[in-house]
Amino acid sequence: MTQAPPRLTTLLDECKQLAFDLNFTYAKQWKSESENRILVGYLPIYVPREIIHASNGLAVGILGAGDRKQIIKGDAYYQSYICHLPRGVIEMALDDNLNNFDGFLFPSICDCVRNLSGMFKLAKKGKFTRYFDYPQNFQKNIGGTFYRELIETIMNDMFKINGVKITNEALNNSIALYNRNRQLIEEMYAIRQEFPWRLSAVDAYHVMRAGMVVNVEKHNLMLEEIVQLISHDFGESLDNIRVVISGSFCEQPPIGMIKSIEMAGCYIVDDDLMLGSRWIIGDIDAHTNDGLNSIVDAFLTQSAPSSAIYDVGNPKGARLVTQVKMRNADGVIFCAASFCDPALLDRPDLQKACDNAGIAHINFQFHENTGQFKVIKEQAGTFSDSIKLWV
Amino acid sequence: MSETIYTMGIDVGSNFIKLVLMEYSSEPKLLDKHTEKIRKRNPTQVADEMVQIMLDKHGLNYEDIAYLASTGEGDLVKRKRGHFYGMTTHARGANFFFPAARTVVDLGALYVRCIRINEGARVEDYKMTGQCASGSGQFLENISRYLGLSIEEVGEVSLQSCNPEISSGICAVLAETDVINMVSRGIKTPDIIKGIHLSIASRVIKLLGSLKAESPIVLTGGMALNTGMTQAIDETLKEGSKKFEILTHPDSIYAGAIGAALWGGYRHFKLIEKQAAFA
Repeated sequence: MTQAPPRLTTLLDECKQLAFDLNFTYAKQWKSESENRILVGYLPIYVPREIIHASNGLAVGILGAGDRKQIIKGDAYYQSYICHLPRGVIEMALDDNLNNFDGFLFPSICDCVRNLSGMFKLAKKGKFTRYFDYPQNFQKNIGGTFYRELIETIMNDMFKINGVKITNEALNNSIALYNRNRQLIEEMYAIRQEFPWRLSAVDAYHVMRAGMVVNVEKHNLMLEEIVQLISHDFGESLDNIRVVISGSFCEQPPIGMIKSIEMAGCYIVDDDLMLGSRWIIGDIDAHTNDGLNSIVDAFLTQSAPSSAIYDVGNPKGARLVTQVKMRNADGVIFCAASFCDPALLDRPDLQKACDNAGIAHINFQFHENTGQFKVIKEQAGTFSDSIKLWV
Repeated sequence: MSETIYTMGIDVGSNFIKLVLMEYSSEPKLLDKHTEKIRKRNPTQVADEMVQIMLDKHGLNYEDIAYLASTGEGDLVKRKRGHFYGMTTHARGANFFFPAARTVVDLGALYVRCIRINEGARVEDYKMTGQCASGSGQFLENISRYLGLSIEEVGEVSLQSCNPEISSGICAVLAETDVINMVSRGIKTPDIIKGIHLSIASRVIKLLGSLKAESPIVLTGGMALNTGMTQAIDETLKEGSKKFEILTHPDSIYAGAIGAALWGGYRHFKLIEKQAAFA
């Protein structure tokens, strides 16, 4: 059995450090290195980061505090029967973790995140706070027009801060960089699909999450190296089942949950953990005279399935079944955050699609700060055994 | 299946690591077994050394083992080919000891698990104790240590009891307080130990009841060879209306490891079949 290359271990350690730095040290350092640079924080799941990049900004994913921060003030802002993520984000904001951020975008995922944008406004965090209400109408002349205006508003917000006028050339350059980012991510997933033991799901998660807090140029360099390193053979395969994880993740699961699933005998060959980074399927046209139009078109026609999106005519269930078949997976593990309305409302439809396609599945819920994984390990373990022995 | 292969099963528990070497065929045989207390050593290293010693003892190489399967804390085992969940392996182990088994009670160090199985050792349903440790072997071991007994002695001591004093069956902390009070009240050690056994037994019976257990019941895990425990379960079961046959086996502590080795063998041939189908 050959060991993982030492360079890979070093890179993965760096990703892990970056991924869980709740003070966003790298991003703040990046901003301080040059004038006119801005930091724009965004909540899960998706914003067009290309726009922020073209405006000399860094889009920083704010994914909550997970199990790394005790929530005291955050609990005072929210009732007990909603998910955990907004409490962690408020706690971070009130604890000054998000100082130096110039603006915040709150994508239209659910009511909780909408309320969070209001709370940020009241708390006067950042120079601008926008509810990023991307369209649910996918007709170009309606949803497309609306979306373009929304993006232009944000471009104007950023312009007021740093005076950078986004040129089409800059936008095309940003689009190309993010295209490359998604290509590398897909390459990483493709290698993991074939050889999942070379890069554990936890490590892959760290790599993806690091990409939310560093500039795309750096993340691309890291990904290039990681993809190159895991292209070579090392490690030993285990007799594990192969699963796709579906949780419509906005609130992120604790690392212990991903570990528990792996330890229970499951290779996670695909997931929607960092959905925002893979939101646009395929490339966005980076060679037009209207880059903004390309971004709008990509959203309307190339968006990934998500609980945050209306899917009439393109059902998520069918897309999940295709994903499972494409990844040659044995089953699906549904694990949504507790009280996550969008994900939990979608779940029965997704399960029904799996049932109809004869795909085995289990489900459970989590909190970002869940500390007990016995039940999860038990469910995943029995799921794995039942597929290995009786399917 | 015409071919005979070697398989190994390794069960990493919280206190002990159990390893078996089996000859897997249509009539599997247990060739060798070994238990090692972890103490304060690195479990990964202990497990790896155990495997190597077993291989050397039988003049085998690692490559001669068709499937090394782990169970329990399997992530601590290097060189394994696959992992099976504890419930699945105990079910198969119990079925190996007694093919007629329909219910398995895994009396482990950290919890008790009741499993209903079919004739093919497939798990049909299960119930287990929650997070509280008062229904577990570890709790029994702690109490016996406080009372100056070794874990090997508690079974026999329990059988000497004439007037058992029942302790809390809900919380390990309360149960420990109960035991301290009993000692200060001058309750005899056999009566304290028997009371603890009965308390654990009552939790087992509740689990069996909610599981709709069927006879015969096979006891596995570290506590299965504790005669005081088996007697307490037997006595408590007799108080109920439904009659059960309780079975124990001298190798019950190896049930998980045996089950892992057997499922490993099964899986080995299944993978060959799968590959042949693809080819």
